[in-house]
Amino acid sequence: MSSIKEQFNQISPSEFFYSNRDLAGFSNPTRSLYTAVREFVENALDACDQKGILPDVHLIIKAVDPDKPDPKPYILTVKDNGPGIDAEHIPLAFGTVLYGSKFGLKQARGMFGLGATMAILYGQITTNKPVTVKSSVDGVTQDVFELLLDIQKNKPVIVKHTTKEVSKKGLSVSICLEGDYSKAGTKIRDYVYETSLITPYASITFDDPKGQKFSHPRFVKEIPPPPTIIRPHPHGIDVERIRRMIVESQFEIPTIDDAMIEKVRKDLGLSVKNLSFTAIMDKAKKKWKTLSRQVRVVISLMSFLKMDFEKLNKIRIEDIDMINKKLHYWDFGDSQSKSVDMDPESQYYKQLTNTVQGEPLTTFLTKRFQRIGPTTAVKFAEYAGFKPEKRMGTLSNQELVNLSDALQKFEDFMAPDSTCLAPLGADPLEKGIKKFFNPDFSAVVQRPASAYSGFPFIVEMGIAYGGDIKSGGPHVYRYANRIPLLYDEGSDVVLKVVNETDWGRYKIKGEPPFIIVSHICSTRIPYKTAGKENVADRPEIERELRLALQLLSRKLAAYMSKRGQADMAKKRANLYAKYIPMIAEFCTELAAKKKEPNYKKILEENAIESKQTVKEENEIGNN
Amino acid sequence: MKLATTKKEQTKIKERSKKADEKQKNILEMLKSHGVKIYDDLDNGQFPKFSIPSRSVSNIVYDKKLRQYILGSNAAVRSSRNSAQLRSFTQLMWLAFFANRLTQERKSSTLRDIYYSSQAFAIEFEDQSESDNIIVDLEAVTSKPREDFHIFPEERSSIFGDLTIEYTIPGYEGKKMNLSNHPDGYSIGPSLTTAELVDTSAEIVIAIEKGGLFTRFVEEQVDKKFKSIIINTGGQAPRSTRTLLKRLHEEMNLPVIVLTDGDVYGEHIAMVIKSGSANAAHLRDLTVPDAKWVGVWATDIEKYKLPTIPMTESDIKRCYDLQKDPRYQDGVWKKELDVFLRLKRKAELEAFSKYGLTNITDKYLPQKLELAKSL
Repeated sequence: MSSIKEQFNQISPSEFFYSNRDLAGFSNPTRSLYTAVREFVENALDACDQKGILPDVHLIIKAVDPDKPDPKPYILTVKDNGPGIDAEHIPLAFGTVLYGSKFGLKQARGMFGLGATMAILYGQITTNKPVTVKSSVDGVTQDVFELLLDIQKNKPVIVKHTTKEVSKKGLSVSICLEGDYSKAGTKIRDYVYETSLITPYASITFDDPKGQKFSHPRFVKEIPPPPTIIRPHPHGIDVERIRRMIVESQFEIPTIDDAMIEKVRKDLGLSVKNLSFTAIMDKAKKKWKTLSRQVRVVISLMSFLKMDFEKLNKIRIEDIDMINKKLHYWDFGDSQSKSVDMDPESQYYKQLTNTVQGEPLTTFLTKRFQRIGPTTAVKFAEYAGFKPEKRMGTLSNQELVNLSDALQKFEDFMAPDSTCLAPLGADPLEKGIKKFFNPDFSAVVQRPASAYSGFPFIVEMGIAYGGDIKSGGPHVYRYANRIPLLYDEGSDVVLKVVNETDWGRYKIKGEPPFIIVSHICSTRIPYKTAGKENVADRPEIERELRLALQLLSRKLAAYMSKRGQADMAKKRANLYAKYIPMIAEFCTELAAKKKEPNYKKILEENAIESKQTVKEENEIGNN
Repeated sequence: MKLATTKKEQTKIKERSKKADEKQKNILEMLKSHGVKIYDDLDNGQFPKFSIPSRSVSNIVYDKKLRQYILGSNAAVRSSRNSAQLRSFTQLMWLAFFANRLTQERKSSTLRDIYYSSQAFAIEFEDQSESDNIIVDLEAVTSKPREDFHIFPEERSSIFGDLTIEYTIPGYEGKKMNLSNHPDGYSIGPSLTTAELVDTSAEIVIAIEKGGLFTRFVEEQVDKKFKSIIINTGGQAPRSTRTLLKRLHEEMNLPVIVLTDGDVYGEHIAMVIKSGSANAAHLRDLTVPDAKWVGVWATDIEKYKLPTIPMTESDIKRCYDLQKDPRYQDGVWKKELDVFLRLKRKAELEAFSKYGLTNITDKYLPQKLELAKSL
């Protein structure tokens, strides 16, 4: 019998994405072209947003050989007027998967700049051409790189690097990739169009491969306030995250070598003098407040060892056993392990505890999470069954899991801080809707911030009726973090909420000309797939969407009802004008009279009534 | 029959035409009063309106005293202010106006004529059933049958027998006619319905459901043998025929008997002649409460061993429906209905042909005429 020997190899992130590119939206030439456009445009907009620059984004797609049938190689270029990227970071940023500057917790279109690298990777494997990156951070010199990705090593290969003089800051990225514009064109144009609706402060142009130019100038001059980076909310935490935070909060016992001893001497002002152990301790006590943490730890150790610098030089700390209050060390002189007791009442003992066992639970919570103050921290500790002064470093695995569970379940934390979110704002949204659709009626709402699983989110929604809008509505424009979502609308939570609405209740019948614009902002949008096209139906998000839609629908219903009344009044006046004279004619002969009755009075009164209703309707439309 | 020549006869003619004039005058006065009311409303800046008795099922009740269905006291206001009613208000107004012309000019028109005439006045009726409905509205408002306004249905039934009439329609005023001169019978239309009934030697009116049997009866000289006037109702009797039956009964004192097929529909044809239909609950003077249904009864099927055919589902359903009708709660009506339900079979008038073509006139009819006296 032969046996198959399994091979276990570690693969690089580049390799992983290379073999799983479907996940990121690079499944076929049509979808890939569209996804690549998105990734670069979104990166450009994100870069400008972060620096508060009004974005000018140019998108250019050109066929390498226009006469070839699709799918064929295209050159995709996106230029922006953003801050640019320092030359030293460019190779890593564009030549490595999972390298980026967006790891903080705040709202942005993309998370890690992963998609852009994926697009570069896709371009490279389909056309074997390098990516060209041109960047200027100072508006004077521009670095031009040609890069390839070493997929197996996940490392950039610089093909060419030159510099030249320019007059503008900004970044330009250009890749060559296999695409199908004849099929992807509609989506890309829709994407650019819809992006400009949700980014009214950006100017976006698009030169398509057929020579057409699409220009969407900015029509709002103010950029919405940028989001701030914030600490995590306890509801959005998991065990792994806590473990990492504890590691960050702990300090290692410093290695006591010559350099360290020299540092301690210097800090105590004893660079030249040799003092006795007691004298050193006295000096340290006086200077304690000015000492660094490392120095304090060394002094604390010395206090239990009762050693001066000379002796200290001849030992190595082996273990600090806080439970048995013993300090173990190796004595080089005697070549054996020794130990001393530690006095738990000593202030030095406390110092060591902090270092070895980490912060007390309450300090950890208040310092490292948002929305937890000292009172809440104590209350929580009680709820979770921990002592408030429990040291983070002493938590067992099971205790960590319990802590994580309790953090997610405890209900007295305030809702997540939403300053990390960057909604567009009701005003710019309404301006955009009015400019794009020229509607007879429009309304927008921004819901207060809410949260799902500890991630804050805000729902913004707009509704518009009539004007330039085509019938057959509602047409739904879905956005998440200012990205238009164009694919897979069927399984989206917004569509679900819209479809479940009984429009008849809001006096909307038939195939009405109306649109809904929905924008969900969150530090983490719960996408159903890595392709970022549809939002999962989290109950909290669904609820906010529903409330927003109900509010807008009621406004629309009020408008429709007024509009209906005005229509009715007009119709009624027309009916009277048509039928009353006929009735007059017939009854005149029937009553054997010579002259028709004076029915004008009735008609005039009704004409006035209908005019009043029309006037009211116009007032509502203008509001 | 001779034409009227004596002085006495001539006075009679004058009286008769005076009577017809009187009736016409009343109709015109009534229409005019409605017109004046609406004229005044408009002139005063008011939306004209009038009240129409409700013809919904809940407002149709059986009047035991009158022995027919009548409308209850529920009425609806039709207002020209209400935009949903404005159109039908105008249509009704036009119809009154048009009926006024018809009556003044003594011209008759059919239901279909009305539908087309409306178009000359820019009155839109969706279809004839809409215009027919407005005609019923006019009847309900005025409590007069459409025939009074010279509006007649297309359906025609026929009459034969020794009956002298005198026309009142324009161009024939004073002209007389005996209805036994033409063996195919005379169709009962506007001129006959409005004619004066002058003289008859008949002692009974036999209404028969089917044209075939009507011809047989004429051939077999049932009119002479049994001193009768024979009327073919052509299925459910049209209103003009029912009006004529009523007049023959009241003005000439003739009893009316009804012969129908031996099934539940036949039984109901007889009932409608006797006490009217729910459809015409807004009208009076269409019924002959003393009319008698003499056959073919369910019990006759067994008695005369008639060939039968099975009842259909809808026949049976109709039986159950009629069992709930207050008029079918006693007497021959209830008894025969029950037997029909028991037999679940039916027999046509022609079934008697099994015993020879003249069996129905020679044997069956005499027995039934004899029986009618005791009913």
